[in-house]
Amino acid sequence: MRELLPFAPGVFAWGLVTGVAMAKSGLTVAQSLGMTFLAYAGSAQLAALPLMAAFAPLWLVTLTAVIVNLRFVVYAMVLRRHLAQLSLNTRLWLGYLTGDVMFVRYSALLEQEPDYPQRVAYFAGGATCNWIIWQVASVIGILAAGAIPAQWGLGLAGTLALIALVVPLCRDRAALAGVLVSGAIAVLAHGLPLRLGLLLGIVVGCAVAIAIQRRLASGGDAR
Amino acid sequence: MSQEVYVWLAILGVTLATFLARSTVLLVGERLRLPPIVESALRYAPACALAGIIASDLLMTPAGLDLTLSNPRWLAGLAAAAIFAAFRSTIGAISGGMVVFWLLRAWFGG
Repeated sequence: MRELLPFAPGVFAWGLVTGVAMAKSGLTVAQSLGMTFLAYAGSAQLAALPLMAAFAPLWLVTLTAVIVNLRFVVYAMVLRRHLAQLSLNTRLWLGYLTGDVMFVRYSALLEQEPDYPQRVAYFAGGATCNWIIWQVASVIGILAAGAIPAQWGLGLAGTLALIALVVPLCRDRAALAGVLVSGAIAVLAHGLPLRLGLLLGIVVGCAVAIAIQRRLASGGDAR
Repeated sequence: MSQEVYVWLAILGVTLATFLARSTVLLVGERLRLPPIVESALRYAPACALAGIIASDLLMTPAGLDLTLSNPRWLAGLAAAAIFAAFRSTIGAISGGMVVFWLLRAWFGG
């Protein structure tokens, strides 16, 4: 929990902004509350809202949410071996609870201490806290949508929290290169629909990072 | 279909989609085998995912890519990164970055 606390303002601000966005998009309070508690999705919720406002076909709304969430498939690939011994039920709950912040903190812990004894409790506890902070903020956002001016730019706080997450991950040249490539591709491919540029950035960024890491490790012919 | 029903079905769709994306691979668990090089490349996935989210959020404006000084968002991000690198404080990075953002925006009269 102490691990997550510094990120609380960022998670809170994001939840708040998502709540406001739902309320302002014309959903009723009950619908907004239902969406935040069921989906707990952040970016997928935001992506679905304009489609729902336009009465887009349901399959399109669902497909959009799948694609916006594809990064979680990558996360789950990283997590799966560490959670494999758990029961089906537990894994389902942890899957529901996985958020960006918690995932990164958890994988950083596993890098340092792969056999950390309370790792499942660590993940479950942190992810639950993240869920609570997010939901409280979202509910406040839904109920107080009219009182929170968009000009404050509160959503930025969430992004700044991610910066604090990513800086310590750039600890070697391979990781730094992956980060730069992924960021550049995400921006250049921003025109692609459904945040596919983000996924492309992750794939190419990882490929570049591992190529550099192999080259540095083999030590020889790199100039 | 009434709008009420439509909205709830759409919410269920988003829920299902999010759940499938997050949990399917977890459920398959050990049975999914990946080539070793992919396994080790996945180590870089968290950093790359964050970088993509951050970069597109800070640099993209409704008018397109904006790397000029009149876009306060990426400058605020830069400030947050610098604060974090110097003090290792997440709270400092978030609040410092927000202050920079508000000051710059007031400066440019946004």
